[in-house]
Amino acid sequence: MAGINEYVILSCVLFGLGTIGFLTRRNALILFMSVELMLNSINLMLVAFSAARADMGGQVMVLFIFAVAAAEVAVGLAILICLFKHVHSVDINKFNVLKW
Amino acid sequence: MDLYFIVFAIMAVGAGLFTITAKDALPSALGLLTVFIALSALYLHLHAPLIAIFQVSIYAGAILVLVVFVIMLLITPDEDLENVQKNMSYRILGAFLGSYLIAVLAIGTKGVKDLLHQQTLPDGFGHPALIGDMFFKQYLLHFEVASVLLLVALVAAIYLAKKNI
Repeated sequence: MAGINEYVILSCVLFGLGTIGFLTRRNALILFMSVELMLNSINLMLVAFSAARADMGGQVMVLFIFAVAAAEVAVGLAILICLFKHVHSVDINKFNVLKW
Repeated sequence: MDLYFIVFAIMAVGAGLFTITAKDALPSALGLLTVFIALSALYLHLHAPLIAIFQVSIYAGAILVLVVFVIMLLITPDEDLENVQKNMSYRILGAFLGSYLIAVLAIGTKGVKDLLHQQTLPDGFGHPALIGDMFFKQYLLHFEVASVLLLVALVAAIYLAKKNI
């Protein structure tokens, strides 16, 4: 079994990739997927530490993160559809006005 | 380090790179799907079979289907979104912050193993029955709060998507 170090580094790399994607892309949908990538990297870290410490609380927490991620996706995509009705674009550079 | 970990780690990082560099949103979603599958395989390796199943059924199943559905709904053929931001300061800031984060975290966590006492896993560690036991005894309140959160999110999503706000 690979040690905890490798899992932590993999998780950090995935989180960094998510950050880079979130800050450098223009497509709002891809920004969304970058956030999902970050959430998943944190899940991996939690499960790795849960196995390393022989404590199942980490796995339970991951299940709660699943619930929060599902809620976040539902509301976020609904907001995106709402914005799309007004701007007719998914370019975040056009989402610069909060009031119409 | 064993071969199983290396194969799926490379798969996850490669697919993650593809996710953030793909030109269109749909190939990007397929890259994300590959990340989910690779992570699910790693969860199996970490004695978390229940998390691995939920990773496939909730993330790769429900959440990604929702994302792909919205991608299809919001498709704009005449709009050509380039690969990256036109605004140069965002690009520099993003690339710098991301690489900095990777570097700092990867270096800073190098000695994390020494902080933990490597314990032998108890019998049946990660068994779904034991997790269910924890869920409904130790974390019952959290479980109920999570269910209410999901209900509120569902109502909010329907309201936002339906009305002309």
